[in-house]
Amino acid sequence: MPAGGVIGCGRCLPPQVVSNEELARALESSADALATTTGITRRHYAEAGVGPSDLAREAAEAALRRADRVAADVDLIVFATMTPDIPFPGSGCFLQHKLGCRTVGALDVRAQCAGFLFALVTADRFVRAGAAELVLVAGAEVHSSALDFSPPGAGVTPRFGDGAGVILLGARPEPGVLAAVLHSDPTGFERFWCEYPSSRHYPVRMELEPFQTGRHFYVLDAESLHAQAEQALVATAAEVLEGAGVGAGDVALALVHYVDPRVAHRAGRAAGFGSSRVVATAEGGGHIAAAGLPIALTDAVEAGRVGAGDLVCCLAFGAGLSWGGAVLRL
Amino acid sequence: MICNARILGLGHFLPDHVVTNADLARVMDTSDEWIQQRTGIRQRRHITADAGPADLALPAAREALRAAGIAAADLDLIVLGTLSPDVDFPSSASLLQRHLGIRGMPVMDVRNQCSGFLYMLATADKFIRTGAARHVLIVGAETHSTGLDFSTAGREVAVIFGDGAGAAVLGPEANPGRGILTTHLHSEGRFAEKLCVEVPNSRDHPRVTADMFGHPGARLFPQMEGRYVFKHAVTRFTEVIHEALAATGHQPADLDLLIPHQANLRISQLVAMGLELPEDKVFNNIERYGNTTAASIPIALHEAVEAGRVHPGALVCLAAFGAGFTWGAALMRW
Repeated sequence: MPAGGVIGCGRCLPPQVVSNEELARALESSADALATTTGITRRHYAEAGVGPSDLAREAAEAALRRADRVAADVDLIVFATMTPDIPFPGSGCFLQHKLGCRTVGALDVRAQCAGFLFALVTADRFVRAGAAELVLVAGAEVHSSALDFSPPGAGVTPRFGDGAGVILLGARPEPGVLAAVLHSDPTGFERFWCEYPSSRHYPVRMELEPFQTGRHFYVLDAESLHAQAEQALVATAAEVLEGAGVGAGDVALALVHYVDPRVAHRAGRAAGFGSSRVVATAEGGGHIAAAGLPIALTDAVEAGRVGAGDLVCCLAFGAGLSWGGAVLRL
Repeated sequence: MICNARILGLGHFLPDHVVTNADLARVMDTSDEWIQQRTGIRQRRHITADAGPADLALPAAREALRAAGIAAADLDLIVLGTLSPDVDFPSSASLLQRHLGIRGMPVMDVRNQCSGFLYMLATADKFIRTGAARHVLIVGAETHSTGLDFSTAGREVAVIFGDGAGAAVLGPEANPGRGILTTHLHSEGRFAEKLCVEVPNSRDHPRVTADMFGHPGARLFPQMEGRYVFKHAVTRFTEVIHEALAATGHQPADLDLLIPHQANLRISQLVAMGLELPEDKVFNNIERYGNTTAASIPIALHEAVEAGRVHPGALVCLAAFGAGFTWGAALMRW
């Protein structure tokens, strides 16, 4: 029975880099205070007119080049994002067109910060079922256009960045996703959510009042999430390692995806990976919800930190609340 | 390891409030005759108080779980399809998970518009077939009415859509001749703007601005090039049904029932005619509910089953086409 293996990956970070100094004025804070609150010092922002499917296109082209494949080889697109190009249709449709893929399925998945893992697991299932031989799994976000660049945003806005990452999952005789676990628990999801536009509001899903009171901006009570996130990431690591039948010591690199890189590092260490083998995805360019993991994987591959045959453990925790883990053999 | 997936239970829910064509003609320049002639729709349902897709999904999901004999807590995966999510994030599936009072199992939304139910069905099928899940709940649910322009400027689109939800619980089926036999998914993004909502748009900085809402013709409302969509729908529906039949060695004449996504009665009629399917082999209910997008197929399938139109052993085809463009088909042996 075939199973999905990582045959290529790619990433795209938009060229504009924004420092804490640049954010501090509008947020009426200081660069140091923003760094202390969020653990993040820089992020990339897409320019106006650029959507997640544009970033995903560049990431996908890089992944296809690395895998020596072309867009026409792709059998299925699975696109994870929480900041779609437009409300509908899904960003996967835009990517299908921009890449010049055949009229293959373009599944758009929403599972927020754990979205890439949900998409990856779904893609692997299509491959294992024999329904696709090459799946393009994309995670892409343009958070910057949704952020509050006024003082109430100081605790949230600096945490997020824009970017895209793609993994090409191809049919191989030996599985590349050795084990994966996904979880969701809606308890207290309002600690990390964005309410508007909101179809459930009768008679109109978006009105002036919620807009004027800023209810279309992200709410993130990070302090209330950290302990739960750390615990879930550690438990998920144990669960997925056991599922893969490997120990933490066998893993070449752990990619830990959480909005606060300091918490991600702590969780990675507590899971037994050792600090030199833990990457906190948010460290380099802020939290990029559905894209942090494939970006970090691509960085690690490009830097030669991991290569063919290595085990990589991916962990993610975020809004929903949804979290999960996967052990990949490259 | 590979087994089939089968629908174990179905449910659906529609808000009580019926909106007739005459009701719409009172607020916009349209008429019962115009709407019926072009779409076949006589009435649709609208919510009358706060209720999102997850709220509509809850009774549908409970009914499907009851019919399947599965407790909500025993679900391995929940997938909700919508283009009118309850909130910006998290997914409406997260809200449904809360409404069901359960936690632990993964939940996600699928955003594939009118083809959403087929994308979810294909996804659930692959999880079950490969042993990654035993019991999967898939729900299509839409609250369209809070995002439509009920002035004359919005009449081409607003008359078509209705609110509602339909759910299916899927599980493994040992008999390889029974259950979901094949699924086929497609997309063609070069026509994305032919049927879409443009804003809020992450390409615009800032994404949400005051001029987006509160007035007729606002960009917040869906836009559709109706004739263009219609033409492609007839072609793609027919094509993908043939594709599903060919994949399993069947002919159109082998079909016992076709349940097309309820986009427009005229589309369904042309597709049936092209496949030479008699009227009693095609199930339509758009005249009562309008286009409920991701919810239309499970609502129609459930009604067809309740009406005794789907006998054990029947060969049933589900097919959809819509915004994206996306389209797809699935073939099931009931």
